[in-house]
Amino acid sequence: MASVVLNQVKKIYKGGFTAVKNFDLEIKDKEFVVFVGPSGCGKSTTLRMIAGLEEISEGKIYIDGICVNDTEPKDRDIAMVFQNYALYPHMSVYENMAFGLVLRRVNKEEIHRRVLEAAEILGISDLLGRTPRALSGGQRQRVAIGRAIVRVPRVFLMDEPLSNLDAKLRNQMRTEIMLLREKIDTTFIYVTHDQTEAMTLGDRIVIMKDGYIQQVGTPSEVFDSPANIFVAGFIGSPTMNFFKAKITGNIDKPYLYVCGEEMAIPKKILNEIQIPEDKNVLLGIRPEHIFISRREGIAGKIKVSEMMGSELHIHLSTEDGVPVVIRVPTLDLDEEQKSSLSPHNTVYFGFHQHAMHFFDIKTGENLRKTSSFEKKRNSNLT
Amino acid sequence: MKTMASSVFKKKKAWNFFVYALLISICSIWLLPFVYLIFQAFRGESSGMVSYILPKEWSLVNFKILFTQTSFLNWYINTVIIALFTAFFQTVIVLSVSYALSRLRFRGRRLLMNMILVLGMFPGFLSMIAVYFILKLIGFTGPGSVPGLILVYIGSSGMGYYVAKGFFDTIPRSLDEAARIDGASRAKVFYKIILPMAKPIIIYTVMMAFIAPWGDYMFASLITFGYEEAYNVAVGLFTFLDREHINNYFTVFCAGGLLVALPITVLFMMLQKYYVEGVTGGAVKG
Repeated sequence: MASVVLNQVKKIYKGGFTAVKNFDLEIKDKEFVVFVGPSGCGKSTTLRMIAGLEEISEGKIYIDGICVNDTEPKDRDIAMVFQNYALYPHMSVYENMAFGLVLRRVNKEEIHRRVLEAAEILGISDLLGRTPRALSGGQRQRVAIGRAIVRVPRVFLMDEPLSNLDAKLRNQMRTEIMLLREKIDTTFIYVTHDQTEAMTLGDRIVIMKDGYIQQVGTPSEVFDSPANIFVAGFIGSPTMNFFKAKITGNIDKPYLYVCGEEMAIPKKILNEIQIPEDKNVLLGIRPEHIFISRREGIAGKIKVSEMMGSELHIHLSTEDGVPVVIRVPTLDLDEEQKSSLSPHNTVYFGFHQHAMHFFDIKTGENLRKTSSFEKKRNSNLT
Repeated sequence: MKTMASSVFKKKKAWNFFVYALLISICSIWLLPFVYLIFQAFRGESSGMVSYILPKEWSLVNFKILFTQTSFLNWYINTVIIALFTAFFQTVIVLSVSYALSRLRFRGRRLLMNMILVLGMFPGFLSMIAVYFILKLIGFTGPGSVPGLILVYIGSSGMGYYVAKGFFDTIPRSLDEAARIDGASRAKVFYKIILPMAKPIIIYTVMMAFIAPWGDYMFASLITFGYEEAYNVAVGLFTFLDREHINNYFTVFCAGGLLVALPITVLFMMLQKYYVEGVTGGAVKG
């Protein structure tokens, strides 16, 4: 168990490409932090720098208050689970799990006890005599996790551990990791590109893009108060809808002009945002926060209607050609309503105003005056 | 429809016949010298060269002469010592250099690899005279040829890194990284994780390192420089083909040739299964 602090960490590769830029983060003891972002955003590089597998170009990394920049991976007391399992193919499952303990000269009885205990936790007790080639993908990943937990590391690093599993197994393993976290109770740093994994597993999420941290926050913070349009678009599925809009009217009776329609908006909402001088904003609204009405609102022509079981995902296009996705729960829809939501039909929609997000058109930053992100970011810049 | 199928079948049959006939004839040409060598080794009626292949009298007399009237046993022991030492040291050096070039990134790495590539294009015999004088200076020629030849053969071992490096490149780096995080030093990663997975390439390197000195004539004849006690089998057996010996020792030469081929054949057959079998299955996501 340990805290991990990254202070102005940078990774510059040969040739000048900077993969991680000015990374500042403080991870508390026993916290589960998830690094999430698209491919090439620098999340795995950051994790590998914490592990000691990549040199740190600039900045410092502290584990439990001690700078580990020049410490070998083996001396950092960390464990890591790799995306491709990285099991030793010539060793049995038991030997794979015991390897780290043997190298640390732990006595045989203790090794045996720890391996059996970890195998019990992960449900792989009957596989201990097998070699990795005789295991399925899910079993291999369990062994890889087992190899990490037997060491009782101070920090547990996981680099996209579920990416190679099929959807069903991934969901199952995700639940198991949540249960595992309760059992072993250590500091976790988890890398993924899957926002569902990030939202369900993390105490805090670090969203990255192009080597920069975009936002650090709890799952509900990043979902409810995205710092910018990247975070807003990355977190949530289907992705958030964006409309160019203009704030009109006067201070007592403001309106929002969007897609050729003018809608009144509560003064309270506008008070919470920093209105740009030209009053042009980018309105962000999640698909579940758009409602369909019979006659009123913005008109859109349905392009595709996806039946997801409990909900319909309606993909439509406004008269201005803006693509919009709407989530409609199927529970209360009768057959007539369902058929009206089929392709080529025109529907009208409006927004739940409390769920609207406003972004600066030029910078993409959230215009909310005191976003939780700002508070969090300030607290992290220690 | 039936006629068309039958025509295709006939064409295929004719093509197969042609392919097999070609392969059999190539195989016969390739095998003929070996068959000839075996027959001559067991010929008992005369010891010179004859114009027929099958012996009139089958005998082991040539082998008896080889061990009782010549220094063949001595040459054989010299060759075994040289080949074993070379195989061991060359394998260690080749695997270490290959692993280092595969995994470590250091200044001048690419330059080093390119230089080795260019140097490797020069035939080894260009350095023969220089090597001879160096070895002579330290007393490793003539009677001291056995250690001298071992030095010659292992001297440029690192330059043969290509194949092994190519193999190490295929082993996922995440295995090294997992082992380093588990607590292994770079050296331990090499011999505890990588080497057990590298059996095919170890076997290949051992065999190549063993075979090269086993049949070498050029360097061995220069370094031993007429000192018969230090000959290896290639140099020793070749003396049987001198004008004054060939009529009495040709079949003995063939018997010696057979005994030289034997250990290599046995070695290859023993190690063949490792040659084709990889052991990385299950290590990473396939």
